[in-house]
Amino acid sequence: MKEREIEGAARRRKITGKWGYTWHLWVTLLLHIAAIVLFTRGFLLTRTELPYYSNSSDVSESQCLYSSSHNNTTTSSWTKPAVNRLIIIVLDALRFDFVAPSTFFPESKHWMDKLKVLKEVVSKSPTSAKIFKAIADPPTTSLQRLKGLTTGGLPTFVDVGNSFGAPAIVEDNFLNQLVQSGKKVVMMGDDTWTQLFPHHFERSYPYPSFNVKDLDTVDNGCIEHLFPSLYEDDWDVLISHFLGVDHAGHIFGVDSTQMTEKLEQYNSILEKVIEVLEKESGPGRLHENTLLVVMGDHGQTLNGDHGGGGAEEVETAIFAMSVKKPPSSVPVEYDTSSCQLDLDGKNVCVSSMQQLDFAVTMSALLGIPFPYGSIGQVNPELYALGAGSWNLDVSQQLSESDIWIQNYANILCINSWQVKRYIDAYSASSAVGFSSDDLSRVASVYAQAENHWLHSTKKLRLDKRDIDALVPALKKQIESYFNFLRTVAELARSKWTEFDLRMMGAGIAIMSISLIFQVLAILRANSQDGATLASSGYAWFFSASAFAFFLLGMRAVSFLSNSFILEEGKVANFLLSTSGIVALRKSVVKGKLLKESVGFLLLSTFCRFGIEIGLSKQASTSAFMKEYTSWILNIASGLAVWNHAAEVVPILVLIILAFWLYKATSDIFFGWPRKIVVVCTILSYMLIIVHWITENNRYILAFMPESIGRIYIPRIVYAILLGQLLLLVFAQLFRGNSSDCKTNLVVKTTAMLSAWSSTVILLSGKQGPMVAFASIVGGYCIMRLCDIEDDAKNGPQRRLSIGPFPVMQWNLFATCLFFCSGHWCAFDGLHYGAAFIGFEEFMLVPQAIILTLDTYGFSIILPVFGLPFLVAMKYKADLGKHVLFTQLSQMYTTYGLITAIMTTFTIYCVTMHRRHLMVWGLFAPKFVFDVFGLLLTDVLICLASLYYFDQGKDAHNHN
Amino acid sequence: MDRRKKREKTTVTKPSTVDASSPPKISPSEAFIVTLSSVLGLGLAFYVANSGFSIDLVTDPSRTIFFIWLVELPIVILLYSRYRQNPRQCMYLRAVGRGLLAVPIGALLNCLGAIALGAPVTFQFLPKTVNWSLMMSLFTTVPASCVLGSSWAHWKRIFAQTQPNGSVEYLICLPAHGAVIGGWFGAWPMPLDWERPWQEWPICVSYGAIGGYLVGLVASCVFVLACARSQHVKQT
Repeated sequence: MKEREIEGAARRRKITGKWGYTWHLWVTLLLHIAAIVLFTRGFLLTRTELPYYSNSSDVSESQCLYSSSHNNTTTSSWTKPAVNRLIIIVLDALRFDFVAPSTFFPESKHWMDKLKVLKEVVSKSPTSAKIFKAIADPPTTSLQRLKGLTTGGLPTFVDVGNSFGAPAIVEDNFLNQLVQSGKKVVMMGDDTWTQLFPHHFERSYPYPSFNVKDLDTVDNGCIEHLFPSLYEDDWDVLISHFLGVDHAGHIFGVDSTQMTEKLEQYNSILEKVIEVLEKESGPGRLHENTLLVVMGDHGQTLNGDHGGGGAEEVETAIFAMSVKKPPSSVPVEYDTSSCQLDLDGKNVCVSSMQQLDFAVTMSALLGIPFPYGSIGQVNPELYALGAGSWNLDVSQQLSESDIWIQNYANILCINSWQVKRYIDAYSASSAVGFSSDDLSRVASVYAQAENHWLHSTKKLRLDKRDIDALVPALKKQIESYFNFLRTVAELARSKWTEFDLRMMGAGIAIMSISLIFQVLAILRANSQDGATLASSGYAWFFSASAFAFFLLGMRAVSFLSNSFILEEGKVANFLLSTSGIVALRKSVVKGKLLKESVGFLLLSTFCRFGIEIGLSKQASTSAFMKEYTSWILNIASGLAVWNHAAEVVPILVLIILAFWLYKATSDIFFGWPRKIVVVCTILSYMLIIVHWITENNRYILAFMPESIGRIYIPRIVYAILLGQLLLLVFAQLFRGNSSDCKTNLVVKTTAMLSAWSSTVILLSGKQGPMVAFASIVGGYCIMRLCDIEDDAKNGPQRRLSIGPFPVMQWNLFATCLFFCSGHWCAFDGLHYGAAFIGFEEFMLVPQAIILTLDTYGFSIILPVFGLPFLVAMKYKADLGKHVLFTQLSQMYTTYGLITAIMTTFTIYCVTMHRRHLMVWGLFAPKFVFDVFGLLLTDVLICLASLYYFDQGKDAHNHN
Repeated sequence: MDRRKKREKTTVTKPSTVDASSPPKISPSEAFIVTLSSVLGLGLAFYVANSGFSIDLVTDPSRTIFFIWLVELPIVILLYSRYRQNPRQCMYLRAVGRGLLAVPIGALLNCLGAIALGAPVTFQFLPKTVNWSLMMSLFTTVPASCVLGSSWAHWKRIFAQTQPNGSVEYLICLPAHGAVIGGWFGAWPMPLDWERPWQEWPICVSYGAIGGYLVGLVASCVFVLACARSQHVKQT
């Protein structure tokens, strides 16, 4: 029965050639793509950025303008400007309880009540100053929040259209509208603003934000430029972004003296600012009609973390103060404030608003067009602060609050029209728009409001006699606009901040099916092969397999906790060392290969230190890697000796590598195309050395233009890689005339690895040669250790299939190399610097490829292409192509299975933790890295199967 | 889990007389006494640390582990040396001597193993690591060294192959494996962000190791009992 099956399989293989060995790899790839696409659609919420911009003339398309006595001012602007100048002071990671009086909270903590000046101002003049609890939308990271604040939208984790490396906002936004309206903007503080808005500022004083340990540089820079600017009249909007509280939170936590000191410092700064404003508030003075806004972009937890949707993270504060005293307060219907006596017995009121509404409210106050993609509503309380500048039209005989309502209804009309326009445009132009049900619901709510406007309110307004009927009608009108805007915001939140569980479930299901499929593929290969499995090796084979799966299981389960993801490198290394110890135990029993197993253990110990250095960089500075692509350069950079060593050692190691490659390839017979490949690699190594030397020594630059070393050498190396790959494909056409299939496999693998190695080393920077060296040693040890069970006495005929143990070691080692080379699973772990090796300008596609090569070079590309070594070393004699290729295909399946299991667990984990506060900070990046890694692994395995299995057909034709 | 085999390499003075003599025997009651005194030693160490110096493993791991190995040292060496192989050729004092010699060597091997697995190497952890290694040495190598001496074959069989032969070897092998495996599992809570003091190196690893050691002791008692019974059956 079984034999017949095997026969059948063999016949099938004869017919299909190499596809018999590799078809399941392709099926796996397809399954994975389907699963990942489905899951990602549900989990990674995406939003398309629209390239449309609001214009001041657009507003005439709306039905909101009424041709009466007011129309003389409103033809060119959306709203009447209510304030002339705006000062926005952003205090990064400002918790709500930093601002609100401690009596609002059940328990008074000592970081509360530090920003006293804000409370005092609010209690002194409740109509002209207000404190808001501002609810931000997740993800609560600074970049996304600044984007949300300025565009008035809901930035998602992945905004389609976001440019790589340069996060500049291309969507319409508040600052863009300011510039369009001829307002001048001055910025000081966090350099994220200049990254987001490279061309919008009249003047800017950016300070680097990446050094989290530095509590003062950014703040001192802000202070230095803030006060002089307050006395100048060359700006309309001033933005000052302080980072100290965020950094103090990240390093020391909220409950720390550093935090209290920072808050006290801010208190005195704000005191001074308010003093200056009040001094200059007289008629005709600089700050006659200025609005001061002090706000946080997001909150933080007590540990200083932020990024997720926890209450502490989304609750931040906005304090707004109008210098010109507005005459009236908001009608009670629109007042959300709640009041409490603070510790000094003063009455302090705190209102609440959505951060989403900030952009549109500020635009309305300044009288500029609302950003195109804004979905917020003009907040009545915040907007009321600008009421001081409305010229009361005495002839109308309306009370102040009636005028206010009239104005506000008008603004809401424009607001609703603008939001409706955006929703329509979005669903028309985005591939993944809103569902038609939702759209028709929104449309009907809008039509209702609009009807009301056209048929009752507008008429009533024009008809000035019926004042008594007007106010209730306006209120009803405002209510219906509120209803519309609320509906849209709900819809947008569900679309951009809520997950589609059905899609995610489908993705998980397909992923699980693919795992089962892979296991079946391995078992099938085993059953074809199993007859030759010798019984004496059985015990070790199965115990080793069981142990491999135990380690695999431990690693997979560890992904369920955020702490283990954070320390993933250490976990991988712990397991690698454990597997090394088990291998050592085995080699002691067998009394051979002691050197290799001890060497492997030592190597994993070294890896461990490399990973720890990488992790410490991750913890201390987020943007560190953008500056230095190789951490090795930065250990103890104070020592002169070390500096020299850091320059010389990589070059020496690279020379050794080149020499090795030469030695290794000189004694095996290579066909001429592959010989050329190897020679080209050695040439590339030499070019890399030249590149590094010219980078460091300035005097050499005198002899040749700088660009040759910096630009052309890397490009030559890339070109050589392309040439080598083409040559290898070309070489496939020639049948290697070395009869030995095994040697042929070794030759092909060596050529392929050497082709990739030069580029990968170049991109990894100075640490590249060391990591390459380590990977060669580690790979060699794993290779040797995998035939530990082979006893010479059993003769060459006996063979064991290679169990999952060496493959798992191979995979773990590759994972360790990923962390060793200074990467980690977060977007700030990408070496953006590497993408600019050989490029001055930003070019998306080539640089994305280069970044991929840098990130996954050592951890996926080289290991996948190097896997045939495991098979080739295992079999001393040539057992024929069938055995070799069955083994190889089984091994590739196993490798793919291990990667897939890891990714599946990551997927389970993000599904389980989708409401976790670290979901955007930690789980989502890990998910993206793993999923990308899995797809890359699958694709490379398929390509490798095309490359390596190519002779299978010939073999059977010969037979 | 098996730094031990390296240790054999170092302790091998000569792969000398691979004494094919019958494995030493130990009666269940004696095994029970060994187990009980080891357990009581541990308890005593904790008691002394706790009541005498009002410290425990969490508040002062370094000194507590110091007490543990200080109390266990005489108990383990003196008790296990009684069951040395070839008691006629090998004097009791000699067994004690090689037990003492195994303390630093075993500690070194355990320490290297721990570092390979990720134990911190900074200076502030040095006393903790040293004390922990000495403790692990007493759990793993010292009994073996007292009983087996420098016989490479026996070491290999017990530690690399886990094939104890005879009741005494159970008493060596199982607690040692238990301690190492327990320590390995004890390391897992360390990265968690619970921010408990016991997550520091080497506290939870020590807890794991001690727990594993105790389990191993109990299991070896059971095995000794089973051994004795089967022999009893054979004899009758």
